Amino acid sequence: MRLAYWMYEGTAHHGVGRIANSMRNVHAVFHAPQGDDYVNAIFAMLDRTPNFPAMTTSVVSGTDLARGTIRLPDTLRQVEERVHPDLIVVVASCSTILLQENLEIAAQHAGLQCDVMVYDANPYRMQEIVAAESLFTDLVKRYAQPQPRTERPTVNILGPASLGFHARHDLISLRRMLKTLGLEINVVAPWGASIADLRRLPAAWLTIAPYRELGLRAATYLEEQFGVPALLDAPIGVQPTLRWIERLRELLAQAGAEIPMPPLTAFSLDGMSAPSAVPWFARTADMDSFSGKPAFVFGDATHVVGITRFLRDELGMPIAGAGTYVKHQADWVREQLTGYVDDLLVTDEFQTVANRIAELRPELVCGTQMERHTARRYDLNCMVISPPTHIENHLLAYRPFLGFDGADVIADEVYTTCTLGMEKHLIDLFGDAGLDLPEKREGVAVAEPAPVAPPVESSKPLAESPVAVAVTSAPAPSQTSPAAVTSAPAPVDPVWAADAEAMLKKVPFFVRGRVRGNVEKYARQRGHAVITAEVLLAAKEELGA
Amino acid sequence: MHSKATPIREDGIYHSFCGLVSVGWLYQKIKDSFFLILGTHTCAHLLQNTLGVMIFARPRFAVSLLEESDLSSSQPDIAAQIEEIKREHHPSVIFLLSSCTPEVMKVEFEGLAASVSTPEVPVLFVPASGLDYTFSQSEDSVLQALIPFCPPAPPDDKRVVFLGSVNDAIADDFSLEAARLGIPVAGFLPASHFTELPPIGPGTVIAPLQPYLHKTATQLRNERGCTVLSSLFPFGPDGTRRFWEDLAAQFGMRVDLSDREAAAWERIKHHTDLLRGKKVFFASDTLMELPLARFLKACGAEVVECSTPYINRRFHAAELAALEGVRLVEQANFHRQLRTIAETKPDLIISNIITTNPLVGQGTVAKWGTEYCFLPIHGWAGVNNLVTSFTRALQRHAQLDPLGSDPIWLTGMMPSSPGGVISLRS
Ligand code: SF4
Repeated sequence: MRLAYWMYEGTAHHGVGRIANSMRNVHAVFHAPQGDDYVNAIFAMLDRTPNFPAMTTSVVSGTDLARGTIRLPDTLRQVEERVHPDLIVVVASCSTILLQENLEIAAQHAGLQCDVMVYDANPYRMQEIVAAESLFTDLVKRYAQPQPRTERPTVNILGPASLGFHARHDLISLRRMLKTLGLEINVVAPWGASIADLRRLPAAWLTIAPYRELGLRAATYLEEQFGVPALLDAPIGVQPTLRWIERLRELLAQAGAEIPMPPLTAFSLDGMSAPSAVPWFARTADMDSFSGKPAFVFGDATHVVGITRFLRDELGMPIAGAGTYVKHQADWVREQLTGYVDDLLVTDEFQTVANRIAELRPELVCGTQMERHTARRYDLNCMVISPPTHIENHLLAYRPFLGFDGADVIADEVYTTCTLGMEKHLIDLFGDAGLDLPEKREGVAVAEPAPVAPPVESSKPLAESPVAVAVTSAPAPSQTSPAAVTSAPAPVDPVWAADAEAMLKKVPFFVRGRVRGNVEKYARQRGHAVITAEVLLAAKEELGA
Repeated sequence: MHSKATPIREDGIYHSFCGLVSVGWLYQKIKDSFFLILGTHTCAHLLQNTLGVMIFARPRFAVSLLEESDLSSSQPDIAAQIEEIKREHHPSVIFLLSSCTPEVMKVEFEGLAASVSTPEVPVLFVPASGLDYTFSQSEDSVLQALIPFCPPAPPDDKRVVFLGSVNDAIADDFSLEAARLGIPVAGFLPASHFTELPPIGPGTVIAPLQPYLHKTATQLRNERGCTVLSSLFPFGPDGTRRFWEDLAAQFGMRVDLSDREAAAWERIKHHTDLLRGKKVFFASDTLMELPLARFLKACGAEVVECSTPYINRRFHAAELAALEGVRLVEQANFHRQLRTIAETKPDLIISNIITTNPLVGQGTVAKWGTEYCFLPIHGWAGVNNLVTSFTRALQRHAQLDPLGSDPIWLTGMMPSSPGGVISLRS
């Protein structure tokens, strides 16, 4: 047992949900307590799903425990009736798995038309990544059918999935490159694939599976079982993308298809420029300072390898360290990063990663949303390069990590994240550099004891803003500072009494400024010279502050 | 509240959360507390994702993680973790929350908490597992655990204790309003600090501010002999007036707040005009649904259905009476709700964070019911927040170009439904 604050991976049932929610007409049913339904919220919120996520909880309550599967057949029937799936995947949860029930029998009792698969995902032995990868592999094994190849050369793309890191963007980038090469796509899975699509997988000439976490095993299976060659590299960065295209052409040539290489400019957005600005950008004088900015990289296997190499090989940054939470891929990561990192950190404990970052104090942290919090705590620059993510990482614009387009996106992110760091040093050196952030003012004001407004001072900017309050209660010199005098407001401005000021402090900081302004306006209109708690309350009532 | 107000009870297949989520507001409310959940990876993942918006590097809650090797021991050892928490966070009180797996394992929580509790830093057991508790219900468990730490008050100490966690600004409003009416205040349960719990005795009047605390209210009545105010909850001009008038009556005062209520309605008139005649459907899960629906009914809206996880006849009596004629559903079935929504075509759906975006994607106007657990909507000062929370969604959607609801704009947004279907409105 250990104390856990944050987790890198989701649970097994979350992994199952990710596969179900990626595919057409596949639904997951969780045999679980009501609270385990929370994974739905992750899809609805982070992916902003315009439809109901493809998963339902068949609720087990405390009173059902002795006869836990009692509700499962009925839930399955309800799901079939509403969404008409081709396949329902049933999975137990961390608590119901201990009951050792026979879910197969319960599922059979439902008498469904559609396929039902009881997926044995022991949540104590597997987490999100393994559960998703194993389920997806099982589905491919179950449905893929021997068949002739497509007439013209086509490729499968395996790996993009619901809640995958920038998955939709990566998919666009891959499609763009394949289109430029004149290649057609056979099946993308699990993203948007139906059961019928899984059946068609062996018809492709090649399978692309860029992620170590999802799609790798299915691609390997298609190679072994049906002889569809697999390209398992991730094109992260310009050089790796060039090599990836080369390898793809080689594999297709071996399969009997000569794919001519178009001019590189054909890969750019307008078809007539460099496909990526990174090679030139890295050589500009601006980037000289980056050779002195060590980076620490932590995340899943695919992105840690891709980003670490990109930072060193293409941007010329030193690597302070790297690590991954995907333990079963640690050997692969270590081998891939030989010569880049001596001492790979392999852990899924957030505190251990935080301690390593605190020790290293790198200029740039590339991590998950947890490393963002750690970086904030130690005042370091951080960009998110791997799941788990925060809603802020789910942006609208095209932001792939793969391909030429991805190289530009990553380089931009590195640059803007670090530039901010430089500005910060200026701020550290010269005080606030005139930025005078509102939040900072609040901080100053709050740190002072609640200032009692002396009536004689009412013509001072005492009540104008929190910073003015702080200034007046600060040592004498600042009271006569030109700034304080020039910003003096009209003399009718009301003064805050101590009790009202204290009440205002309790308003959440992010709306406090607005409340303060509204109340002052109210007091001014009503001719109150002093804002007492009574006045504040009346104003709040009136204005709905 | 006879035949008409009898709630329909369904099978509870709907989307929701477990009691652990109330940690999200309680650890912020009780500032010297720490919340330790004895649970699994699932519980930790839940907390991370539902409280993700407020993630900090050093939260005052954590999960004591049960791993496979721990499943065989019937009584887990958490002593080392309690020490770690004390060392790192210095709390005045630690709440030990149960979860599903240890409950299936039949961990004896009372004894576990007692074994690590000290007079300096009590460790209090809080039942919260998803097998038995939904959403805000576990606040009730936390407050029950606090009862023994409320000092006894002598019988002649006749004062009010406000029940339910509200932010400090709302608490100030209620203290001031009580003072204005001449009602003596003993404090709030919970207080902002464990060390500031109010005295409670036979003279105490418990005034519930939140509608999900009936266990605490009942226990206080039974153990301390205090009076529990039975009134509307203080939401909206109607509820707030009734609340204060009934509370004043407990202190032998007759106050008439009809002018105050009328003025409050007058101030929000342009909002109530907008709500009048609108069909509203409650499909949320916070247990705040009854008073919110009652307020909307008073605004002139037509509440076509009010679903809520649980209804307590006694604790919600006044709200139930005011909701006479409204279709009430406990433990709703989500598939049936979707059918009812398709049939009744409500103008506004109050749902939860799981279903809101998808409902909007189906062409309805829906808003997060979850917000009501955090919004300052209590009392006279909350009236405006309360009413605008409903009208904002309506107005915003009305303002957006209707072309935006063409399914074309949903195409490719979701891998499992790539076509972007708008179904409920068709
Ligand atoms: S429902 Fe149970 S297992 Fe799931 S998160 Fe809640 S307490 Fe943990």
